Amino acid sequence: MTDHAWRELAGAYALGALEPEEAARFEEHLAGCAACRADVQAFREVAGLIATAAPVATPDPALRDRVMREARQVRPMRRRAPLVPWLAAAASLVLAIGLGVGLQRARHDLAAAQDSLAQQAQLIAVVLSPDAQTVALASKGQPPSVRLFWNPAQHRIVISARNLPPAPAGRTYQLWAIARGQAPVSVGVFNTTPDGRLIAALDVPANLLFQVTAVTEEPAGGSPQPTQTPFLVGELPRSE
Amino acid sequence: MPIQTDRSGTPDRALVARMGTGEERALGELYDRHSRMAYALAMTIVGERADADEVVADAFGQAWRTAGQFDPARGSVTAWLATITRTRALDLARARGRRARVLERAAQSGDGLAAPVASVGRAPDRAAEQHEARALVVRSLAELPEPQRRVIELAYFGGLTQTEIAAELSEPLGTIKTRIRAALEKLRGALAPLLSEGEA
Repeated sequence: MTDHAWRELAGAYALGALEPEEAARFEEHLAGCAACRADVQAFREVAGLIATAAPVATPDPALRDRVMREARQVRPMRRRAPLVPWLAAAASLVLAIGLGVGLQRARHDLAAAQDSLAQQAQLIAVVLSPDAQTVALASKGQPPSVRLFWNPAQHRIVISARNLPPAPAGRTYQLWAIARGQAPVSVGVFNTTPDGRLIAALDVPANLLFQVTAVTEEPAGGSPQPTQTPFLVGELPRSE
Repeated sequence: MPIQTDRSGTPDRALVARMGTGEERALGELYDRHSRMAYALAMTIVGERADADEVVADAFGQAWRTAGQFDPARGSVTAWLATITRTRALDLARARGRRARVLERAAQSGDGLAAPVASVGRAPDRAAEQHEARALVVRSLAELPEPQRRVIELAYFGGLTQTEIAAELSEPLGTIKTRIRAALEKLRGALAPLLSEGEA
């Protein structure tokens, strides 16, 4: 294809109007073509402006409260993927909790993270990219895989989920920390991306002791106490 | 750039940088500036208020979690938020087994959209600059030849690919490609005042 022909695709690509195969070929070309990248960026800005022309519709003031409430429960990832270096650096301190996957696997993942920080950072960027392609995984019968990496010193849990379809509209997932004989304590709400993935950091209340973690599906915004039987449960290793 | 700042002069990208450090107030400000755009976009795609609420809450949640990854060199905050919101809205419409609202309207009216999607309705509390910028976008869309405006609406608000648009309108694929390209080039020119100033 000539350079000219490639550039004719930039607008449709920015609009998301290319067929998936065509978009994939164009992306390969984009990697080495600054002119097309500049065109795509300009047309993405045009698309962003088209959005502003949608007929006026004013959100309910309660929606702002909901956004702020949900934000308080999930901390933003830190700048430019220091998440993974932090994981690697803290690997010797981190207690890994296997939820559906064993401790060995979690350790293996941490080692892999140390080996390929750049790759992992790229992976995160891909996973969280706002225009990532959506693939339905729910029907493939793969069990959801959720792993937690808990750093007690920093009161922080990093949650990593795969093959977990997003909670239905109006619902969310909620992570609970449970000490034996006591009521569960909410660690926070989370949801997966349409492709069933999530990597996020959640703050744990300081000095909270717990032996069990569990995930339930709750109404959007989360619940003070679980309203459902957990569908994922994991116990801390007894090495503590 | 007018659409990206309010009277306080804090650029959007500075707000997003502060969000990246976990500052909730910055998220509140970003929401106050852009929630109407996000909500209007979501409503245009999903058509139901409860679904639009869901989309907008998810979109700002994603913006909050990923603010640290936002790269101003790759585009404006408006474009970033619009991309996130549109993707979420189209996903929800698909998950509901529904076609985007814009397509239903197209089907109902037989030979095309009953009325252009873009409209000049005014939100009285919208910042004046934002309102002016929006008015230019609406006017630029309205000035496109009708067939060109329709393919842009079907692609952007309907989430259709060029091939799907060709099937929807029973027109040759080549014709659709030409229209999309022509329409986007015209919009790029007409909206240059909003694009050329770059990031605020």
